[in-house]
Amino acid sequence: MGENGAGKSTLCQMTNGIIPNSIGGKLAGKVLVHGLDTQEAGISVLATKVGIVLEDPETQLFASSVLSEVAFGPENLSIPPAEIQERVAWALETVRLKGYEDRLPTSLSGGQKQRLAIAANIAMRPDILVLDEATSQLDPVGVEEVLSVARELNQKYGMTVIMATDASEMIARHMDRVVVLNEGRLVADGTPREIFSNLNLFKKIMIRSPQVSQLAGRMQDEGRPFTSFPITVEEGKQVIIQMVGNGHPGSTGSKQPERYTIDAPTSILVDNLDYIYQPLNVHAVKGVSFEIKKGEFVALIGQNGSGKTTILKNLLGLLRPTSGKVLVAGKDTNVTAVAEMAQHVGFVLQNPDQQLFAQTVAEEVSYGPKNLGVSPEVIEERIEKALQVVGLEGRLDEFPPAMPKGDRAKVVIASALALDPEIIILDEPTTGQDYRGCHQIMQIAKAMHEQGRTVLFVTHHMALVAEYARRVIVLSGGKVILDDVTEAVFSKREVVRQAYIIPPQITELGQALPPELGLPRTPLTVETICQAVLQKALETHPQPEFGRN
Amino acid sequence: MSSLISYYPGNTMFHRLDPRVKIIFMLMFCTAVLLINDIGIAAMFFAVVVALWFSARLPVKLFWSFMKVLLPIAAFLFVIQAIFYPGETPLIKPLIPIGKGIGQVTLEGILFSVLLTLRLMAMIIMLPLISFTTPVQNFALGMVKIGLPYTLAYTMTTALNLVPLLQTETQVIVDAQKLRAMQTFEKGKLGEKLRAYPALVTPLVIGSMRRAQLMAVAMDSRAFGATKKRTYMEDITMDAVDWIFLAATIIFSIGIVYLSVKL
Repeated sequence: MGENGAGKSTLCQMTNGIIPNSIGGKLAGKVLVHGLDTQEAGISVLATKVGIVLEDPETQLFASSVLSEVAFGPENLSIPPAEIQERVAWALETVRLKGYEDRLPTSLSGGQKQRLAIAANIAMRPDILVLDEATSQLDPVGVEEVLSVARELNQKYGMTVIMATDASEMIARHMDRVVVLNEGRLVADGTPREIFSNLNLFKKIMIRSPQVSQLAGRMQDEGRPFTSFPITVEEGKQVIIQMVGNGHPGSTGSKQPERYTIDAPTSILVDNLDYIYQPLNVHAVKGVSFEIKKGEFVALIGQNGSGKTTILKNLLGLLRPTSGKVLVAGKDTNVTAVAEMAQHVGFVLQNPDQQLFAQTVAEEVSYGPKNLGVSPEVIEERIEKALQVVGLEGRLDEFPPAMPKGDRAKVVIASALALDPEIIILDEPTTGQDYRGCHQIMQIAKAMHEQGRTVLFVTHHMALVAEYARRVIVLSGGKVILDDVTEAVFSKREVVRQAYIIPPQITELGQALPPELGLPRTPLTVETICQAVLQKALETHPQPEFGRN
Repeated sequence: MSSLISYYPGNTMFHRLDPRVKIIFMLMFCTAVLLINDIGIAAMFFAVVVALWFSARLPVKLFWSFMKVLLPIAAFLFVIQAIFYPGETPLIKPLIPIGKGIGQVTLEGILFSVLLTLRLMAMIIMLPLISFTTPVQNFALGMVKIGLPYTLAYTMTTALNLVPLLQTETQVIVDAQKLRAMQTFEKGKLGEKLRAYPALVTPLVIGSMRRAQLMAVAMDSRAFGATKKRTYMEDITMDAVDWIFLAATIIFSIGIVYLSVKL
């Protein structure tokens, strides 16, 4: 665990000798893998000890078929063909990609690609499998797929699995040991429970413990002790029951969330939108309708392939509806040029590197307004304002590609903002960002919303949806299956699960509690349930350690 | 055109042909086509490629989509050559007399145009015939077995595999910049167009460099280049059909070369 730049990837790439053998650098000390010094043992020897799966599914697959991808490693090791065949069959079976042998790796889903990368590594029969942020670009289903394969390799074949990840809830559920890095140093090492109960650690560095542990931390701060520090939903439930008792039968928990109405002009109107991709005739969006008013803050969520991107592209005029109507800022996107849409809608791409091109931040941010022929004085003013919103004041002259990942994302947001659009659309803006980066980006989105802009964002990050969005639209199979205030959406557990969406841990905790406790059924943040529990606890056990302060 | 390098699975004779034979066939065929000066033989070469196309049972649609691109180019060359080839047997008088022999359509000019067009078409539809019927990894294997170092063969085929990826990437970048009000890609003056390019090319180049670095890590991690002589899961072997096809290719090509040099 650790922030971006804490040294996780560097450490991962030392385990198989890539650092320093392929990528140079100064190395002091030693890395021993099975007693082998990675600086002395050759790559071919280390490859049979350590397999490594990288973050980006695209860059680690390069063969023209699934079969040849997996065979690549063993072939390099000069394994006899008959044995390669055996190994490939086993590896594909283990990652559940049997039957995909002739497929093009690029045609697979994100989860399948990462499983293929695992297969390509385990075909070299390593004892150790390193997953370097291997799940951070996947949707929830993809994450589950990769995890279950990793777990099986660990349990069935005794393989050591090392994951570099920030996903603390995942760590709490599956891992035996956590090593925390900060600024290149090891700062903690222990079981997940030891680590997550170390509240001081999480105050010092910007990583996140599971929400249940955060709640426990708050309780401890408030002077409410408990016997065992919780890290999972089940443990959290026990702690709360311990604290507030069993409640009163008949109590049904808090009231149902109300549908909120907003009295404002329409910002985005999607009416019975159908989209079919040609020539393959893929029906990606089926009769979708929704309306977003000016000044709303809306999350669009759903599994990959549920139609999110297709809808976004229709909103932006990059695709034209097969049938149905899309009005954005009063413009019919069917007949409006993309460049004109740009004046009304600011779009923030998932990957900032796909649009940064200028030599300086100032040049980058001014590109859009310049294209629109905005006067130099106004441009200057807009640059200043935009950089202020994203927190990059005074960094006009920096070279964007050389900035850290989080800052590159901010430059892209500032670039969209400089067009002064009334609508901002963010497509998975937090993918690949660490905890600090995620929240900074969402804070910027919030600030843009507070300026009166309509904000629509797509994400797989449910904790962020719960914390920031007021309204959520859930897509599944190209249709809208839910469209309501955030709390109401997460309260419909079964429907949400159908769309393969896993609510934040704290929401799951609320739902796991017996209703007679009278606590919020669908808490969206740790603070919500924290306050409710504290109040109940005060009613049931009037302050056990009163006067401690 | 990403479709230029995609593989269309099949089990025809041409599909099963050893990639080495295909590579030699392709090289010799193209050399021979360049050397011939006889319309009859050129027509035969063209017919052979078309016959092979159909024997490989590749989608007919594909053939026509190639023809659609190719025919206008061929027609253009045909007309140009017919008009400017200096011949002796005039067929059509020039509409505007420009100079001696120029602008005059002659029998020789027409014949030369036919020859040129046939040669061009035969060569151009030859290449996709090979790439559509050969999986890229077999092509690499073929090159290695002919004697190329496998690191080089793999680098080449990996680059081929990246083409579709780069195309998708380019589309994303163009879309992103369009949404920043860049309007000068399709239309606009040349100067404006040139100014639009850095916004497209810079992210593409930086992205490719990042990708190449990461890919090198992934390849090294999987022991690429670790042993001098690597093995192959699916080896290729020459069977009777391969030998016959190879022999026919060699005899045929040498014959053509011999004849054309002699004539």
